[in-house]
Amino acid sequence: MIGVSKNIALYLHIPFCRRKCGYCSFTSYACRQADIPAYLRALKAELAQRTNGESVSSIYFGGGTPSLLMPEQIRDVLDTVHTLFKVDKGTEITTEANPGTVDEAYLRAIRALGVNRLSLGVQSLNDSELNLLGRIHTAAEARTAVRSARSAGFDNLNLDLIYGLPGQNLASWRETLKETIDLNPEHLSLYALTLEEGTSLYQAIEENRLPWVDPDVSADQYELAEDLLEKSGYKHYEISNWAKPGYECRHNLVYWHNGEYLGVGVAAHSSLNGHRLSNTSNLDEYLAAFANGLPFSPEMDEEIGVGLQLAETVILGLRLDEGINLNQIQNCYGVDVVTTYRHQVEEMTEAGLLECTNGYLKLTPRGRLLSNEVFWRLLPEEAAVKTG
Amino acid sequence: MDQSLIRNFCIIAHIDHGKSTLADRLLELTGALRREEMREQTMDSMELERERGITIKAKAVRLTYKASDGREYRLNLIDTPGHVDFSYEVSRTLVACEGAILVIDATQGIQAQTLANVYMAMEHNLEIIPVLNKIDLPSAEPERILEEIKNVFGYKQGEVLLISAKTGQGVPQLLEEIVNRIPPPRGDATQPLRALIFDSRYDAYKGVIAYLRVVDGKIAKGDRLLLMGQGTEMEVLEVGCFAPDPLPTAELAAGDVGYVATGLKSVAECRVGDTVTSAVAGASEPLIGYHQPKPMVYAGIYPTAPEDFLELREAIEKLSLNDASLSYEQESSPVLGNGFRCGLLGLLHLDIVRERLEREFGLALVVTTPGVSFAITKTNGQKVTVTNPGQFPDPSQIVKIEEPWIKISVITPSSFIGSLMELFREYEGIYKTTEYLEQENKWGELGQRVRMEYEMPLRSMLTTFYDQLKSRSRGYASLDYEVIGYREARLVKLDVLVNSVSVDAFSRIVPPDKAHDIGKVMVEKLREVIPRQLFKVPIQAAIGGKVVARADIAAKRKDVLAKCYGGDITRKRKLLEKQRDGKKKMKTIGRVDVPKEAFLDIMKLG
Repeated sequence: MIGVSKNIALYLHIPFCRRKCGYCSFTSYACRQADIPAYLRALKAELAQRTNGESVSSIYFGGGTPSLLMPEQIRDVLDTVHTLFKVDKGTEITTEANPGTVDEAYLRAIRALGVNRLSLGVQSLNDSELNLLGRIHTAAEARTAVRSARSAGFDNLNLDLIYGLPGQNLASWRETLKETIDLNPEHLSLYALTLEEGTSLYQAIEENRLPWVDPDVSADQYELAEDLLEKSGYKHYEISNWAKPGYECRHNLVYWHNGEYLGVGVAAHSSLNGHRLSNTSNLDEYLAAFANGLPFSPEMDEEIGVGLQLAETVILGLRLDEGINLNQIQNCYGVDVVTTYRHQVEEMTEAGLLECTNGYLKLTPRGRLLSNEVFWRLLPEEAAVKTG
Repeated sequence: MDQSLIRNFCIIAHIDHGKSTLADRLLELTGALRREEMREQTMDSMELERERGITIKAKAVRLTYKASDGREYRLNLIDTPGHVDFSYEVSRTLVACEGAILVIDATQGIQAQTLANVYMAMEHNLEIIPVLNKIDLPSAEPERILEEIKNVFGYKQGEVLLISAKTGQGVPQLLEEIVNRIPPPRGDATQPLRALIFDSRYDAYKGVIAYLRVVDGKIAKGDRLLLMGQGTEMEVLEVGCFAPDPLPTAELAAGDVGYVATGLKSVAECRVGDTVTSAVAGASEPLIGYHQPKPMVYAGIYPTAPEDFLELREAIEKLSLNDASLSYEQESSPVLGNGFRCGLLGLLHLDIVRERLEREFGLALVVTTPGVSFAITKTNGQKVTVTNPGQFPDPSQIVKIEEPWIKISVITPSSFIGSLMELFREYEGIYKTTEYLEQENKWGELGQRVRMEYEMPLRSMLTTFYDQLKSRSRGYASLDYEVIGYREARLVKLDVLVNSVSVDAFSRIVPPDKAHDIGKVMVEKLREVIPRQLFKVPIQAAIGGKVVARADIAAKRKDVLAKCYGGDITRKRKLLEKQRDGKKKMKTIGRVDVPKEAFLDIMKLG
């Protein structure tokens, strides 16, 4: 393949938020917006250091709140990307946006820069739930943001929703779902609330200020979503993702296909050449490193051995509704998955979590909700880990 | 040393009444330790002891005290175990002393176990110096407690000292009283050697170290000695005293307290309560009748992972070198694999053994529900002893079951009498007596203090009895017990089935009319503590084939990691690894993963 640059996805992390949400444990900083210009300089420096002139089929601005960037700043970064990489024609360019930070003019401006997919963090269309989550926007603002996105010319729109909230019942979730379906987005990501230690929401539940979340209610909510969304023409193509046909998120598919991606910015993760790497999650360290022109040095660099690579390919692939193509894996790794994991496959098939049909191994509907039970069984005994 | 200048004494106190603090203060005032040299509570050197505030192994320390009469005295303070499980060791400590300081908390009054120990001290003719401790606390009620001491023990005003071990108030006077009131030892150094072992522990370099009180004769390095009760012979490798660190001396003579290094390999060869004499031309009579304390409580101890069995065996062997009261026998359970049936002095002893195995040897253990030893007569006339419910014979083969009974003594303020009497009835207690400790006009706000005696099966006391006693009396009631013998019983074996597999570790022997209630509580608890599985799990309690209680654990429905944070696959994998490792720590029973806490939780049920 000499001479042909390989194809990767590109992730750019924008770790700034106007306010930290009550459930978020990810790397994002409130009150550091003054650092944005310096951060973008560092980000561009990192891009320059890490490029090998690959071709890129997806560019994803994630956060944090990437919509805190000015259109000119987004232009500046995209220009850099275009200079350093070979950006495919028709590349999917996604920006995550907080409905409380965007208006039509802004959206029009970034659409004009080539951003062709917008992912809005709606989370809920119920104001008391939004308040509980610590979001900076209301349900009305979320609806307005959707309309503005449409007017601005976005025809590939994702909405994020969160279910399994403390005190959220099936009825209120049904309302949010129905209203969301009425907004007619092309793509929907539904995430069960994960209570991470150290977040204020976790704390509130620990201290009994908020009710405990009943996992059975979350399961009911998930099943309700499957039902309503299917009826509305959405395909449940991945455990947490639904899309109208043809609108599956290409960027995330790279993750699920265990493809290669370069993540730049603070706390960003990459998967390249059989290594998984991550950057420092400390903003000051990140800024200092690139301000001083230091060579790139990842905080974590893990070589993924063949055994683990296979396991990850299987685990990630099973997240997709089509499951994993057994032939493809046989060709790639020279092993038959069903033989290699005979014991696990039998056990999980018997438990009704896995099924094998037409050369594909996939999760059953029940298996999707219990996927961790399948996945941990597929991990190799001792992960072959090398850190450097 | 002139025997008239020696005083041997111990401290009798309830847990938390200030024994260790007082010992620290005595060490400090006699210059054995400077304040800054002291760890808190020097006498309790085992980590576990300090954490629990109890003393498990007795120790001795030699203090040099210059009294106001100008003479220098040698005070030997012998520490006593503070828990009812170790009453045999306490009784041997008392025999080694001429006097005892009775410490009573001025905020709490006399506790049942203190009372039992004082009576024991009186039986052995010890001179008792009662002291009221913690008089510096605002909640102290010295007048009321003094009245109680007067009523219960008959001590007059002026005989009881008021002290604060914490601040040191009254402690100098206590030292004077020790010299003045406790008689010097009366042994004869020219007679054949007789010394009493009141404690022993294993040392990796010197073998068993015996702590002893020399009554007659003397001991020097190189002497050949004989243990009269056990018949063990040994050579003295070293003699010395504790000051408070071990200090080798030339000899120990009549009246002295100290240690002997024996080179023996296990404390089982050199048990507490035995009399030491010379191997040649020794004494003819021991100081006191020797017997081994019998285990009263039995429990199975298993490694959570079957492959750790050899490690567990090694750990128990090592532990028993230092704990002569721990007996063990290998057994194997269909569910738990290979382990040991351990015999222990009581529940606290079991707790200590479990904790030490886990902490000092890093083992993950499953401990089964503790039980007693049943004497069963079978239809074929054979008599068997059963310490493991799993080995309980089929009911059709049983003619007679006998089980150990205890006499309990409880001291409580009278306002809790009603609810405690109800508790004793629930736990099969039979009323014996009630005794009032105070006069009517001196009642505290919870009424006057009362001592009640009941008889009950030891089996009844092995579950939640003590917790219930404490909670129903808001912590005020205190308990002492002694075993009074075996009585006939009507009992059945209650089995617990997890996913249709009988779990011998959960089996227990219960009265038939309580089987349903006990079974209900057990299955409900298991439903709570066993995590949901991929399938529905029935939990049943049954007698023979008859199910008396059932609870189902619904199948788990949701276990999913949703968001992929910017491609952080490593994080997802780490979470899955954690989940996998968590599963490994569980015991798989009938395809069901049971966390080891479940065994503990069931153990604690009533």
